[in-house]
Amino acid sequence: MRSTLVSYVLFAAMLIALAAVFLWVPTEKEMGIIQRIFYFHVPSAMSAFLAFFLVFIGSIQYLRTREEKWDRLALSAAELGVMFGLIVLITGPLWAKPVWGVYWRWEPRLTSMLITFTIYVAYLMVRDYGAQASQAPRLGAVMGILAFANVPLVYYAVDLWSADQQLHPPRNVGLEPTMEYAKWICYATFFLLLFHLVAQRMELARIESAVVRLRQKLDDA
Amino acid sequence: MSFIGRALAILRKDLQAEWRTKERLSPMVFFTLLVLLVFNFSFELGGAALREIGPGVLWSSYVFASLLGLGRSFADEHENDALDALLLAPGDHGAIYLGKMVGNLVFLLAIELLSLHFFALFFNLSLGFFLVPLLAVFVLGSACLASVGTLFAAMSNNMRLRELLLPLLLLPMIMPALISCVAATKIVLANGHFTELLPHMQMLGVYAVVFTVLSLMLFEYAIEE
Repeated sequence: MRSTLVSYVLFAAMLIALAAVFLWVPTEKEMGIIQRIFYFHVPSAMSAFLAFFLVFIGSIQYLRTREEKWDRLALSAAELGVMFGLIVLITGPLWAKPVWGVYWRWEPRLTSMLITFTIYVAYLMVRDYGAQASQAPRLGAVMGILAFANVPLVYYAVDLWSADQQLHPPRNVGLEPTMEYAKWICYATFFLLLFHLVAQRMELARIESAVVRLRQKLDDA
Repeated sequence: MSFIGRALAILRKDLQAEWRTKERLSPMVFFTLLVLLVFNFSFELGGAALREIGPGVLWSSYVFASLLGLGRSFADEHENDALDALLLAPGDHGAIYLGKMVGNLVFLLAIELLSLHFFALFFNLSLGFFLVPLLAVFVLGSACLASVGTLFAAMSNNMRLRELLLPLLLLPMIMPALISCVAATKIVLANGHFTELLPHMQMLGVYAVVFTVLSLMLFEYAIEE
């Protein structure tokens, strides 16, 4: 019931965000229409990091309490973090092609995102292919904590490595007020989308493990 | 026995076993030599290109060799269920991690120093003057590799497909350390100034400390059956 309500709110928020991005905000002077990808690119990146933070929280709490729900949070957030990371890595080059002339530059922010993305893909692979079902939550939690600790180090090292190639604007670039509003609308929509999807995925994981338990009970009987 | 005493006991056992068999050291050094050969034929390393890509070649071969060596560090314990006996010993299991981690650090350093001679010989590099700063980079870089590497070796030891998974786990995680290792080595070989070197050394130091401490805390969870 609650999730249906959230779906409607999310749908409305998406319509508002789309209207804001395509009808309301002015077109940027130098980059033109392509700049509008900003309203998807940046919120996706923020959502990815928020998801990685949720993996971290879920991992710590799982090791502390050993309650399955925290592991479900970590796993669901990791999958969605990878998905939002992929959106960043796709929209980034699409934006870069007309503006920088090439799809990919080994530019610090793009490179850092790519490395962070690979860390969480490895996390998912280890859970899926390596660990037996009984150990996956525990090993996943260890990895989820280490991975999050690594994110600032990745950013620092990559900045050192290629500071002279920095092409992204500095963090607090002055935006025109309507652009600023549209940005916040998009942040809110993306965060709502992330939380909604995490909740859905957690519910699915709960049902999956309930089915596994039922099947075991049947086998034992 | 104190925490440090137990860690030292593990370290001594590992070094002694290795000293008697040399079953990790010799294959790893030979492997590093082979990787250097592969890189030589891929890039034609001699001449001017060496200073540009030499440090990268050197660290790539160390990273690949360390993947082999780290994977073995818990496999021996696994074979005769020796790990179970180690875990039965009273006290904090962090000591096992610390002993293994320092052991791995010693192995990595030994391999790096031994194969550095091949590198210097094949590519006509006189190392004399560079040796001290290079050694500092090697110690910090190997500490970074050993810190996460030992924990992941312990984790992947119980997994299916462990030979496949250790590189998948380790390579993305050590990327920041690798970046700084290559950059620092490049600065040393180019006779760069100390102030250029410092940020990279700091980066390596922070990485090694952060992941050694985190691994000490998490080892308990990584190893439990």
